[in-house]
Amino acid sequence: MPVGAKFLFIFLAALAASLFRENLWVLLSIWTAVLSGYLLAGMGLRGLFAQLWRMKWLVVVLTIPQLIFLTPEETSFNVSRVLAVVLLAALFTLTTATSDILAACERALRPLDRPLRRVGLSAERISLALSLTIRSVPVILSFYAEIREAQRARGMRPTPRATVMPLLVMSLRHAEETAEALAARGVH
Amino acid sequence: MAMFAALVAVLGQLPAIPLAGGVPITLQTLGVMLAGAVLGPWRGAGAIVLLHLLVAAGLPLLAHGSGGLGVFAGPTAGFALGWIPGAFLVGLITQASWPLRLWRTITGTVLGGILVVYACGLPVMAFQLGLSLQQALLLNLAFVPGDVVKAVIAIMLTHSLARAYPAPFTHARRRRTSRGPAR
Repeated sequence: MPVGAKFLFIFLAALAASLFRENLWVLLSIWTAVLSGYLLAGMGLRGLFAQLWRMKWLVVVLTIPQLIFLTPEETSFNVSRVLAVVLLAALFTLTTATSDILAACERALRPLDRPLRRVGLSAERISLALSLTIRSVPVILSFYAEIREAQRARGMRPTPRATVMPLLVMSLRHAEETAEALAARGVH
Repeated sequence: MAMFAALVAVLGQLPAIPLAGGVPITLQTLGVMLAGAVLGPWRGAGAIVLLHLLVAAGLPLLAHGSGGLGVFAGPTAGFALGWIPGAFLVGLITQASWPLRLWRTITGTVLGGILVVYACGLPVMAFQLGLSLQQALLLNLAFVPGDVVKAVIAIMLTHSLARAYPAPFTHARRRRTSRGPAR
């Protein structure tokens, strides 16, 4: 199934769920979609339950405050609606490779290239920034490990301030170096 | 921008710092405030947009390794999306002049980093859970002290950084010449 169509379908389902929030049939059909989606994707019921288990905290956070303010019926209805939509969205993530999503994102941006250029952006620049971000996560994690090691060597307590400040400076320096490297290769 | 998006992501993954009250907080929203304060409105908001694009594409970059499209369907979606205008406003107010002024940074961080984020987050949460705005606010009061602490840290960090390493504050430094009759 193409990424765009899948995304649109989930978006519409979420929209329907929030527009017809009191409608039992809409809720039931979304749950049917969730169930058949997980079965069709080869996750099976076990996959569905594994996904539900990962959301146990969401369920707790959703249920308790509502039980304070609302009736049990309203609560169960609301919780099952939110869960259905989240499960459906999670199915999208589970069945689509991140690289496919990013490629689809770049394709979707292509026709918008002209208005984007007017504000100083372009589809290429956006996808370059996205891949740079992915690449930067492990780099910053390694900075963090370095900082922690230095702190431990000096017997320092890792307060947020003492950790984030060097992390900021190292990250910004790295960003500057990356920008220089890109400029040297003719990317502006 | 990309680097800062990644930095916000990493700040969400670091071990949460337990406060005196025992409520664990992550530093992710600290990253959001810093993105605005350091990069300025446009690039700060841009960093958050980048982060959200990657989260929507399925990468587990939000606090405690959550991610995927489900984040934007859940009850806390408004808070995450509120980071975009939040970072923008932080940047707009903080970097309105160079050198940075402390009162501006404080106003910007509190308005953009806390108020705007809650203003976007609470209605979505109230709508998703079928609660009233007051009830939703009551539920989130527990997080306000943590956000205030993070705002204080963000303000201190911004000002030390502006002194130690002013290169990234381009938005404010470009405005240096344009301040004149106002003061």
